[in-house]
This record gives sequence, C-alpha cells and structure tokens, in this order.
Amino acid sequence: MRRILEAIAAILLPPACREEVLGDLHERYRSLLQYIVEALHTITLVIVSRIRRTTDPAIVLIRAFALYLSFLCAARIGGGDFLFDRWALISLAIPCAVALLWLTLDDAWATTSPRSAFSAARGRVVALLWALASQAAPRSTMLYGCLFSLLLLSAIRALERTRPRIG
Amino acid sequence: MAKADSLGQFEQLVLTAILTLRDDAYGVTIHAKVQELAAPREVSLGAVYVTLDRLEDKGMVTSWLTDPTPERGGRAKRCYKLEALGERALEESAVTAKRIWDQIAEVWGKEWARQWGKRWVKERG
Repeated sequence: MRRILEAIAAILLPPACREEVLGDLHERYRSLLQYIVEALHTITLVIVSRIRRTTDPAIVLIRAFALYLSFLCAARIGGGDFLFDRWALISLAIPCAVALLWLTLDDAWATTSPRSAFSAARGRVVALLWALASQAAPRSTMLYGCLFSLLLLSAIRALERTRPRIG
Repeated sequence: MAKADSLGQFEQLVLTAILTLRDDAYGVTIHAKVQELAAPREVSLGAVYVTLDRLEDKGMVTSWLTDPTPERGGRAKRCYKLEALGERALEESAVTAKRIWDQIAEVWGKEWARQWGKRWVKERG
C-alpha cells in the first residue's frame, strides 16, 4: 500500500522537486493516514510554489491575449451568428482558459530548464487539443481558433526565448 | 553590494534553522528545527518548501542534491546553505528584533523582562 501511495505522489509531484519531496515524506512516514494527510498538504503547496517559480505573469497575460484574439478572429471568420449570442464572448473565454491552464501546468511539470523546442511545441499542441475538447463554440470556430492560437503561441515562444525572464 | 530584502517571520525561522543546522540542513531537519523555534505553533512541511523556494529565488540560500540513501527509500536529499545575502538579511532581522526587545523592556520594566526571560528558559527546558 505504501509503495502505491508513493507512486501516486511521484506522479502528482513536478519532476523538478520530486526526488527530495518523496525522500522527505518517506523519512517522515509513521502511518498510512499520516502519510496521506501530509502528502496531500505538501504536494498541493509544492505544486503552487512550482507554478509560481515557472510562471512569468507577463507571458501569461500575452498568451491569454493571443488565445482570446485567435478565438475571436476565428468566430468572426467562421461566420454565422455565434458572435451575436448573449454569452458568445464568455464562451470564447472557456477554451482560452483551458489552454492557458494546461500551458501553465506543462511549464511547471517540465523536466528540463530551459525547455527544448520539441517539448514546448508538444505542450502547445496538447493544450490546444484540450481547448478543442471543451467544445465551447461552434466546430469551425474551435478549429480555426486552435490553428490561429498555435501560430501565435509559437511566435510568442520564439520571442520568449530571446528576452530575459521578468520578475 | 546588493541590498538584502526584509524578511517575513517565517523566512527568519527558516534561515535561522539553516544557519544552526549547518551541513545537515535539508527538508526534514529544517522542518523539525522550524517547528521547535515556532512552538507551540504547528508548521507544515509544505510551508517550509514554499519558503525555501522563495528564499532560493531571492538568492539568500542555495541548494544541491546529495546521493540517494536507503533510509529515504533510495531518494536523494536537497541540502541548503545560507548565502551572504541571507546572512545579512538575517543579521538585520536579529538587530531589529533586539531593538524591539530593548524598547519593550524599557517601557514594561526590567523586572518584567527578567521574569519573561526565566519563563522562556523554563519552557525550553
């Protein structure tokens, strides 16, 4: 049982701090219940801390803007009356939020720093697949939106590599 | 010389723990020492990690991974060392705390300070 719990904890922990946190939790093990309670509390805080360390607020804002702009343009190009819907602008924010959340988590779980171009590209594609799966807008809008987002996010990534980290 | 940031109380506790533990400062021992310093307040292991990350980002501590050991399930330790910036920040905090203590003792009286000191020594055994 303990091995299973440790394996679950290993999956949940970001790779950058997995080794030491698992070792510390192992060393402090007294009972299964104590391990579960401590692991849950510790892993939550470690993830939040890791996200804080790997997230640049300026980049998050630029990504959010790029994603929303992409889906907005896609809705305009896709035609139809979708943009005239009462909740259209909020619906367009859903795939953006899903993609942004995935991109943030993907950065936190990255195994290398700085990330390889392939790993970052894979992260972008998976984030947009999750956005596509949200089905918050008509299919054509979602498809065009993901395509435009992929282009803009790739451009942002290229710029990101040439500028120093803020904060 | 870079100016040291002012420290929060929990950061002071973590830096003090690293300072006193010297070569044996890693997650578990730092947590135990912080718990001892913060008593009777309960301190979580996660809060210690968050603070260590923040202190490392500020350049006050540095860390490195040791070799894996069997008592840790074959996992390595992340050891921490105080940097000059951290030492300076801790020194400034200690000086400020001493000034506060002196002012309180002056207002509330020397007898109160003596009694408080005796109670503190008794509580800590």
